[in-house]
Order: sequence, then structure tokens, then C-alpha cells
Amino acid sequence: MTGAQFLFYALGLATVMGGLGVVLSRNVVHSALALLLSLIAVAGIYVLLYAEFLALVQVLIYGGAIVILLLFVLMLTRSGESPLVLDNPQKPVALVVSLLFMAIAIVSFFLTRWKLAQAPRGVDFSVLGGSLFQDWVLPFEVASLVLLVALMGAIIIARESPQ
Amino acid sequence: MTFEDAYRLSPELILGFFAILIVLLDLGVRRKGWLAALTLVGLGASAAWTAVLTAGGWQGTALGDTLAVDNFSLFFKFLFLGAAALVVLASTGYSIRFARFQGEYYALVLTSAAGMMLMASGRELITLYISLELTSLSLYALAGFLKDPRSNEASLKYLLLGAISSAVLLYGMALLLGLTGETHLDAIANALGRMPGANYPVLFLGIIFIVTGFGFKIAAVPFQMWVPDVYEGSPTPVTAYLSVASKAAGFAITLRVFTLALGGPREAADWSLIFAILAVASMTLGNILAIPQANIKRMLGYSSIAQAGYLMVGLATLSDLGRSGIIFFLASYAFTNLGAFIAVIAISHRIDSDLISDYAGMAHRSPLLAGALTFCLISLVGIPPTAGFIAKVYLFNAAVQQGLAWLVIIAVVNSVISAYYYLGVVKAMFMGTPLSLERVTAVRPALAALAVATVGVLVVGILPEPLISIAQAVGRSLIP
Amino acid sequence: MPWYVDITARVGAMLIFLILTVLALVWLERKFAGRIQMRLGPMRTGYQGLLQSLADAVKLLLKEDLRPANADRWAFQMAPFVVFVPIFLIFVTIPFSRELVIRNLDMGLFYIIAVSGLSIVGIVMAGWGSDNKYALLGAVRSAAQMISYELPLVLALLGIAMQASSLNLVTIVEQQRFLPNLFMQPLGFTLFMVAALAELHRSPFDIPVAESEVVGGPFIEYSGIRWGIFYLSEYVNLVAVAALASLVFLGGWEWPLLPPAAWFLVKTFALIMVIMWVRATLPRLRIDQLMDFAWKILLPLAFVNIFIVGLYRLYQWPTWTVSLISLAMAIVAAATVYHFPGGERR
Repeated sequence: MTGAQFLFYALGLATVMGGLGVVLSRNVVHSALALLLSLIAVAGIYVLLYAEFLALVQVLIYGGAIVILLLFVLMLTRSGESPLVLDNPQKPVALVVSLLFMAIAIVSFFLTRWKLAQAPRGVDFSVLGGSLFQDWVLPFEVASLVLLVALMGAIIIARESPQ
Repeated sequence: MTFEDAYRLSPELILGFFAILIVLLDLGVRRKGWLAALTLVGLGASAAWTAVLTAGGWQGTALGDTLAVDNFSLFFKFLFLGAAALVVLASTGYSIRFARFQGEYYALVLTSAAGMMLMASGRELITLYISLELTSLSLYALAGFLKDPRSNEASLKYLLLGAISSAVLLYGMALLLGLTGETHLDAIANALGRMPGANYPVLFLGIIFIVTGFGFKIAAVPFQMWVPDVYEGSPTPVTAYLSVASKAAGFAITLRVFTLALGGPREAADWSLIFAILAVASMTLGNILAIPQANIKRMLGYSSIAQAGYLMVGLATLSDLGRSGIIFFLASYAFTNLGAFIAVIAISHRIDSDLISDYAGMAHRSPLLAGALTFCLISLVGIPPTAGFIAKVYLFNAAVQQGLAWLVIIAVVNSVISAYYYLGVVKAMFMGTPLSLERVTAVRPALAALAVATVGVLVVGILPEPLISIAQAVGRSLIP
Repeated sequence: MPWYVDITARVGAMLIFLILTVLALVWLERKFAGRIQMRLGPMRTGYQGLLQSLADAVKLLLKEDLRPANADRWAFQMAPFVVFVPIFLIFVTIPFSRELVIRNLDMGLFYIIAVSGLSIVGIVMAGWGSDNKYALLGAVRSAAQMISYELPLVLALLGIAMQASSLNLVTIVEQQRFLPNLFMQPLGFTLFMVAALAELHRSPFDIPVAESEVVGGPFIEYSGIRWGIFYLSEYVNLVAVAALASLVFLGGWEWPLLPPAAWFLVKTFALIMVIMWVRATLPRLRIDQLMDFAWKILLPLAFVNIFIVGLYRLYQWPTWTVSLISLAMAIVAAATVYHFPGGERR
């Protein structure tokens, strides 16, 4: 096993552990922190794939913004006293369905001959910027409109009614 | 971005510009009626530009091949702009219910229209996905505008289920990308054409996920769970918008992705079967569950599920005729359903109730609104001389030609079932005893919108040829 | 030398350097603030109190590491490290001179922005895990403040990146051989320093840790070594911000006469002294003023700054015009702040 392989499995393990923590933890704040672990580990996998920029974006957006936002919301909306009931009667059904899906997905992934990348190499930062603003300018700019809409929607839903 | 790119993107750019302008003006404008007028101006400007693109021979691709300007996308642009305009007109009386957020309301209608237009024009998965999100996020917010418990429930349910479905969709797209290494639809088709059969399981998984994501948008069974509650809780103009424009956008993106990227014979055989099954489920379940509904918005919600079922018959045909049938059906469905909803908006706003039993005797209180609603409901059943009749005949004919007679038989049986609950409303309006003798009227813009929709239903029902030739041209333009 | 020995040696050296610097800075701040406020500061431990920080450090190491009974064990104990590690990671790519750097990353500036945002999580963990309402309140304030001020901070750095067409810190410094960015973008520098004060929880933006309001904020329940790590991270963060500012705005090591690393340290320490000076002089803002200031003044100015730099890049304006516009804007900003309406408490 090469060093890169070792790192990959370690990061994969961290990702899965984090994901399990999100789902299984009975404390929502712990879930949010486990999510952070999972997301950072994914950033590590990006680094292994020579996608440093993506890794940094992952850390910045998910670690620095989304998890913080989650924690913020959790801390502001629930008091420590309220019972942390997260179970509902659908749990066994959900378990069966997700295990079934996992089985199907794993089997089909193994049956498939994936298209492998050629010799791995990083992409120069300026090339990335150029492609983002030239070839992919439409989705990029639409994304900004999406954010604006989300902001407006959040304000409308959060503000109290006129009366 | 070159000049040509900007030119081809202008219909959407205009909408975005007007959306931001309206939000800014909302700060200062006291009489909010101006905002509705400005919204119509924006929609009109965008439509004018679309007309310039259509007539001026600007068809082609733009922006690094992410955007297609072809007859298909131009047709849907007109459809969405028209639907949005009618919805805005119909909202004029209604919008006092959210007086504080009128500017945002019109801005979100515009952004969602822009999103739908991009959904119909994108020819690349990332663009399509982000456009779908633009549409969905605008609609999630619009569903919660009334800010009462039902509206909040509608918004929350729509958001949660929509987020899950778009995650599934994204997973499906990621599988396609992983398999082919491409996100441009035609490149995906090329890559799949060269691919050995052994890669099939993942491709099939991807197809199922994408069907799930799009099925949510078009409200097909079994992805319809959100429909009744969201339709009931949302402001009624938004419900109308959801049932017409959002569904049409779902069909536009489905047609584009499945025929362009997954149109190879191996893939097509599979997804046409999937859509045939979904069509049967949607028609049957939608129609049967519509029968016991007491609330007219819920009833129309289930009816829209059933209509999605009829439309999916067209997807199952895999033929040019079937595709043009979908397009014709969507256009006539837009007129019909908008007409029905505009009448419902006017009546329900006045009597402050959505219950069918409260519609009793409406023919005496407002012959005009009741008559228009009746006419549209007849069109929804598919009885001549309405657009709905021609649309069903056209579409089912296409299916029979492709050897899907079994599907058509089920669809016809379902149409008969649907007559029961559609005509139940008509019966209540004409035979029931009115609860009061107070006249029910609507504001002028809403009446104008109603007139446009109803006349549209009638004209298409009597003189379908022009629309049929348009639909055929549009259907053909999908495959280059 | 194998690469892992090399990297361990570099990281170890950096850690030792930082700890020593922090010990010195604690002493320096106490003496400096004392002088400004006409006091002597620590005098008893060693000559002029030189050994005071060392004595404090030893005390912290020996103190009992307390944990409140109802605290969330996991979050409470991890928090100091979650705060410290990201801040320390900033130094991975801070060059002291062209050669004296652990690892010169091509996207160094972006890396610093990305990594430094993570330490908010630690503060939130500390505040939530302590099971103390003041700690929680302080953590919420801190998160809100850091998110708000991160925007102008990052946008100010974006102006630099646009001008340099690079995110590599070494490249950015070398481009300032003749004219430090301070003179090119006085507005950007002002924005950066003000936002950095807030990021550091330094006066006048020390609302999250205000003793008189939230009795010390997120760190209230901590003692011993864990408290020490928070204290250490606070000062390491101070060094990081000052080092970054001296690199991207003051031209880092690129000045003649003195050896490069020495110039870098001189500039960094000068900036640190300015920050200490501000702390010893200014009173604390109110929380609503703090948020208003970030969103209504700093953020628009940051956009203006980027706009100016963009025009300069696009039309190749002569340098002095840009400097002048930027300076004028900085003065406008200062005037606005001076007349900034305090507003009624809402």
C-alpha cells in the first residue's frame, strides 16, 4: 500500500465515521460537528486528487460557513433543556431501504468499468479561473442569482407577518 | 462573453434585471400596483426579445455550448412568460394578502420564470441543475408567502422534499458524469454510444435517479407526496404557477435531457418503460384520489398529477409525434389550467373559502366566472370543443401509432373517471343552492387574464392547426 | 534529509518560535499598555518583569484542568485544539523570507483565508460545551462577529490578489519591491486592519469576550492548560494577522540593508504594537454598532476598493491615480466613522 492509498483509506474512514456520527448521534450539535469532520475529510480526498482549489473551497464554504451556520441555528433555536427526541417509527424501514440501496449501488459500481483519468496532475489556478469565467460563466452567474433568491426567501420567511 | 452570447441570453438577463429593479423600487414605491405593472413590462420586454431571437434567425448555441437557442427553448420561453404574465395579472387582487412583500413576490415570479427558461434552454447538466435550483428556490419562497400555518407547511414540505429530490437528481447526474466524463448532453450521448454494455448497471441507476429528480418537478406518482399540501397551502396564484409553468419546465428539461443525452436505443427502451409505468400510476392514483377531495385546490392538485400522467404517455412513445404531442398538450393545458385557477382565485378570494361545497350556486352569483371555470373544467376532462380534447386525441394517437394501445386504453378509462370529479364542481355551481346572493366579481386585470386563458382554450379547441404545426416544428428541433 | 524529518523540523521550529514570541508579546503588551496608561506594568519578576510571562505559563501548566459537571465533555475538551490548530496552520505558508517558509503554497492567500475560518467552530464548541449562558452568548456573538468581518477582510485581500494576479505570498511580496501595497491601496489596508481587529476579538471589537457584559465569553469555564491554549491561540492569531498584513501590504522582507527575515519581523512587530496601542486607547463598541459597522460601512467600502483595483487592472491607470482615489476613499471612510451615528439602542 502506497502512502497515497493509505491516506485515501484513512480519509475515507474519517468521512464515513463522520457521516455515521451525523446520523447516529443523539445530540444535534454533535451531529453538526461530525458533519464538519466528514466534510474536512472530503476536502482531504480532493487534495489527494490534485484538486487543491476545490479542497480549499470545501474547507472555506463547508467548514467556515455552512457548519457554523448550522451550529448557529442549533444554538439559537433550541434550549438545552428540551428533550432531544430524534427517533420516529420509520427508523427500521429507513434502515432496510438504505441498506438495500447501498447493496445495489455497490454491486453496480463494481460491475462498471469506469473511465479512469489519465496521469493525475493539478490544474493551474489561472486556467481554472479562466474556464470558470469563460466556459462556465452561465452556471456561475446563475448561481449568484440563486443565492440572491435564497437570501430573499429566507428574509421573507423569517420576518414576522405584518399584523 | 461575446456580444452574440449576451444577445442570446437577453430574455433571461432582462428578467433578472427587472427582478432586482423591482426589489429596489419596492423600498420607495408606495403604490404597489406599479410593481405589478413593471413586472408585466419586464415579462413583455423579455417576450419581445424572445420574438426577436425567433424571427431574426438567432438559433444556435451560446456561452461555451451551455445554452441552446432553438425552437424548442424559444417555445418554452413564450410559454413560461405567458404563464407568468397571466399569474401576475391574476395576483393583482389577491396580493393584498401579503402587502408587505409584494415587491419580493413579483421579483420571485420573475426569477423563477428566468430559471424555467434556462431549464428549457440549457444543454449541459450543471447549467440545467442550477437553473432548476433557481426555479425551485423561488417557488419554495413563493409557497410560503401567506405566512399562515398552512402556507408555512406548504413551503417547508416543498423545500424539504424538493431538496431531497434535487440531491437525488444531482447524484444521478454525477453518475452520468462519472461514467462518460462529460456534462454536455450531446457529448454524453456520444460517449454512451461508444460504451460497452457492461457499464449498464450504473447507467440504469443514473437514469432512475434523474427520473426521480424530474418526476418531482412534474409531480408524477410516486414523487407526488408534496402536491396536495403545497397546492392547498400556497397562495392560489402560486399554485396556478406551480401547476402550469413548473410542470411545463419539468417536461421541458425531461424532454431535453432524455432525448438528447439518453436518446440512444439501449437507454431509451428503458426510460420509456419507466415513464409508461409512471404514467399509469400517476393517471390512476391522481384521478382516484381527486374524487373525495372537498377543497378545490387539492382537487386540482390531484388533477394535475393525473394530467402529468397523460403527458408522460407522450414521453413513453419515443417518437417525434409523441414529443410534439407533449408540446401541444402542455400549451393547451397551460391555457386550461390557468383559466381554471384564475377563476378559482377570483371566486375563492371573494368568498374566502376553497371548499367545493361553498361554490354551490356560483352560476347565479357570478355567471361569468362560473361559466369560464366550467369551460376550463370541461377542457380538463377532454370534451370537445376545447383544447383539452384536441390535446388528448393528438397525444393518444401518437401513442397508438407506437404500439402503446394498452397505455391509451388506461388513459381513456382514466379520463372517464376524471369527468366525475370535474363535473362534480360544475354540478355544484349550477345545481347547488347559493349560500348567499351576494354577487362575486373580480378585478379587471384578473378578468382580462381569465379572458385570455378561456379564449385560448376555445381557439385551440376549434382551430388547432396553427398550434399543431408549431408543436411539430418545436418537437423536431429537439433532435438536431 | 527525508521529507518527513524536514517537515517535522520546520513545523517544530515554527511552534517553538511562536510560543517564545507569544511569551514575549504578553510581556510587551502589559508593559506597553501600562506605559500608555501611565502605569509601570509588571516589575517584580525579573528585570522589568521580564520573567512574568514565564511565571504565568508555569502557573497555567500546573493549575487543575476543571470541567463543569454539566459540560459537554467532548466539545468542551476538544474546543481549545480546534481553535489552535487552524490558526497554527496559517503559519505553514507564511514566508519569513524567500527561503524561510515551511511550505510555499501556490494558493497561499486563499489557503490562509480558508483555514482561518475553521477556528470559529472551536469557539462555538467552547461556548456551547461549557453549559454556561455567558459562554454561549459570547460564542454566538463571536461567531456572528467573525462571519461578518470575514467578508471585508477577504475582500480587502481580494484587492491584493487582483493587483498581484497571484495568490502566492512570495510572488505578492516580490512585486512590492519598489512600492508596498500600502501606498497602492491605503483603503484596502485600512479595511484589512479594522476587520482584522474584529477577527482577533481585539478592542474596540472585543464584545464576545467583554468582561463587563459576558464575563469573559466562551472561555469563562476554562482553566489550566486548556485556557492557556486559548490564550496562546489568541496571541498566535495576532501574530498571524500582523504577519499577513506586513506581507501583503508592507512588502514583507523586500527592503534593503537589514537581512530579509529581520525586516519582516520588524514590520510585523510594528503592526502588533499598533494593535496593542488601539486596545489600550479605545473603548468597546456596542453589539448593534458592531454589526452595523461591518455591513453598512466596511462591506460597501470593500466593494469600492475592489472596483477601484478592477478599473486599474482593466484600464492600466497610472499607479498614483489609484493610490490617490484609494486614499481619498480611506479618508472618506475615516470621516464616516468619525460621524458614525451611534444610534439608539434597539
